[in-house]
Amino acid sequence: MSKLFQVSLFVPGVLFIVLLFAMLPAVFQADPVNGALHFQWMNGFTKIGEYIDGIWTGQSFRYYAGSNELSFWEQIGYGIKVTSFYMVLGAVMGMTVGILLGVYFAVARAEWFKRLLELTGALPDFIIVIVLQFIIVLVAMETGLVIAKVASFNDNEPAILLPLLSTIIIPANYMIRNVALHMKHTFTEDYINFAKSRGLRKGYIIFRHALPNVLPFIKADLHKFMGILFGNLFIFEYLYNLHGVTLLVFTNAFGMNSYQYSLVVNGILTFLLLYAIVYLLLRLMILGWEKVLTR
Amino acid sequence: MNRALIAGLIITLVMIAASFFGQYLAPHHVEDQVAVHYAVDANGQGTLVVPPVSPNAEYPFGTDKAGTDLMSKLIAGSKYTIIVSLVVAFARIIIGGIVGLLLGYFGKEKKSRAKRLPLWNVLNGIPMFIIVWMVMIGISINPVVSPIYLTIILAVVMTIVGIPSVASTIKDKTMVIREKQFIISARSIGAGPLTIIRTHIFPHMKESFIILFVQEIILILGLLGQLAIFNVFVGGTTMYVDPVEYVSRTNEWTGLIGQARDNLLIYQWILVIPLVAYIVFIFGFHLISVGLESIYKEKYSKVSHI
Repeated sequence: MSKLFQVSLFVPGVLFIVLLFAMLPAVFQADPVNGALHFQWMNGFTKIGEYIDGIWTGQSFRYYAGSNELSFWEQIGYGIKVTSFYMVLGAVMGMTVGILLGVYFAVARAEWFKRLLELTGALPDFIIVIVLQFIIVLVAMETGLVIAKVASFNDNEPAILLPLLSTIIIPANYMIRNVALHMKHTFTEDYINFAKSRGLRKGYIIFRHALPNVLPFIKADLHKFMGILFGNLFIFEYLYNLHGVTLLVFTNAFGMNSYQYSLVVNGILTFLLLYAIVYLLLRLMILGWEKVLTR
Repeated sequence: MNRALIAGLIITLVMIAASFFGQYLAPHHVEDQVAVHYAVDANGQGTLVVPPVSPNAEYPFGTDKAGTDLMSKLIAGSKYTIIVSLVVAFARIIIGGIVGLLLGYFGKEKKSRAKRLPLWNVLNGIPMFIIVWMVMIGISINPVVSPIYLTIILAVVMTIVGIPSVASTIKDKTMVIREKQFIISARSIGAGPLTIIRTHIFPHMKESFIILFVQEIILILGLLGQLAIFNVFVGGTTMYVDPVEYVSRTNEWTGLIGQARDNLLIYQWILVIPLVAYIVFIFGFHLISVGLESIYKEKYSKVSHI
C-alpha cells in the first residue's frame, strides 16, 4: 500500500470505526421478559443513518441533558478547555519527569523506591485516585487541615492539585519503568564500554551516548503512553467530577431514557482530536530532546 | 530463596482458600441483617445500634448500610472476583497463545511500528474498559437473567477484547525464536510446522506464558475495577431510583468498591475494607510476577557496563 493511499484511508477509516463502535449499546439488548441476549443490528444501522442525515439538519449536534435540549457546539468548548488543560500538562510533565527519573533509576540503586514504583504501576489508575483522595480525607480528619480539594464541587472552583498529580503520576510511572529498562539494556552495549574505556565522564556517556539511543524506543511506545494517559482521563474526570469531554459523554449518554448515539459519536471524535493534538505535541517534544542531545 | 515469589504465593493462596472455605467460618450469613435495636452492656449503659455498624468484635469488618456483615459479603463476592480473573486470564492465554504461535511461525516479517497503518495506533488510544463498558452497559443494569449467566457474558467479552494483545506479544517472541538455528535444523530433517511449534518453540516460551498469565490476571482485576467505577458490576447491577443507587448483585469485590464510592467521607470502612482486600489480592499476583521475572532474569540477562 502506498503512503498516499494509507493517509487517504485514514480519516474515513477512523470515522467508520467510531460510528460502528458507538452503536454497540444500541445493538446489544437484553430481552425485557426472559433476558435473552439480542443482537439488534438493524437498530444500530438506523442510528448511523439518522446521524448522517442529522449532520445536514443540525439534529446530530443537539442532545438532551436531563430534559433540556442543548447544542453540542456550545457545550463542548468548556469540556475541551478542561480536558486539554489536564492532558497537555499531564503529557508534558509526565514525559519529562518520566524520562529524567527513568535515567536516574537506571544508574541509581534506590531498590525500595523501584519496588514501590513497580507496585504502583501494577495498581489500576482508579485505585491511585481513590487512595490519593483518601489520604486527603485522613489528613483532614486528623489535623483539620484540608490540603487539596477531593473533587470539584462546581466549575468555578475546580480541584487542581489532585487531578494534576494523578494525571502526572500514572503515565510518568510507566515512562520511568520503560526508560529505565531500555537504559539498562543500552548500558550492556559495547559502545558504552568503549566510551568508558576512552575515559569519558559518566554523565556524558549517559546523556550523549545512551539516552539518544533510548529515545527511539520512547517514540515507538508513545501510543502506549498516550493510551495510559487518555484511558486514565475517563477515570479521573469521573472521580474528580471535572466537566471535561469524557464526563460530558458519560453523564449524558443515556439521557431521557434513551441512548444518545450522536452525542457519543461527537464526543469520541472530539476525544480523538485531542488525542491527535497531544500526540503531535509529544512528538515535537521528543524531537526537541533529540536535537539537544545529539547536537 | 526467592522471597517475592513465596510471599506472593502465600498471599494469593490464603485469599483463595479464604474465599472457598471462609463461609463455614464466617460469624454471620450474607443474608442476615442487623436490625435497629437498643443494646445494653454490662455496666447498664445503653446504646442504640443502627446500621452501618462500625467494625467491632462481633462484626470484625463492620456492616454496610443495610446491616449486612461486610466480611461475609466479601467472602461471598470473592468467588466471582477470583474465578473470573483466573478463567479469563487462562482463556486469553490459551486462545491468544495459539493464535500468536501460529501467526508468529507462519507470519511475514513484521513491519516496523512507524510503517503500520496509523489507524490501529489511534485505536490503541481508546481504552479497553470503554469497549467492554459499551457492550455491557445495555444489558447489565437491572437484568432479568441470573448473575451467573451475566458473569459468563462479561467473561467472554473480556476474553475477546484481550486476545489481540496476548497474540501480538506471543507472535513477536515466536518470530525471534523461529530464526534460531535449531529451528532450521529441525525443519531440514523434515519436521512439520506443528511439530516444530509444539516441541521446539513452545518449550522456549513456557516462562513467557507463565509471566504473561500472571500479568493478565492483574490487568483483568484492573479492568473489573474500572468497569465497577462506571457501575457495570460482575453479575449485573441493580439500580434503585430515588435516590439513584447502584448495587452489585453478586457482592463481587470491585462491585463492593464501586457501590461504596460515596463513602469516602463518612462510614469509610465500607469503602476501605473491600479496597484493601482488592489491593492485597493484586499485590499478591504482582509479587508472583516480580518473583518469576527475577528468576528468569538471573538465567538469561547480560551485565551492565555502568
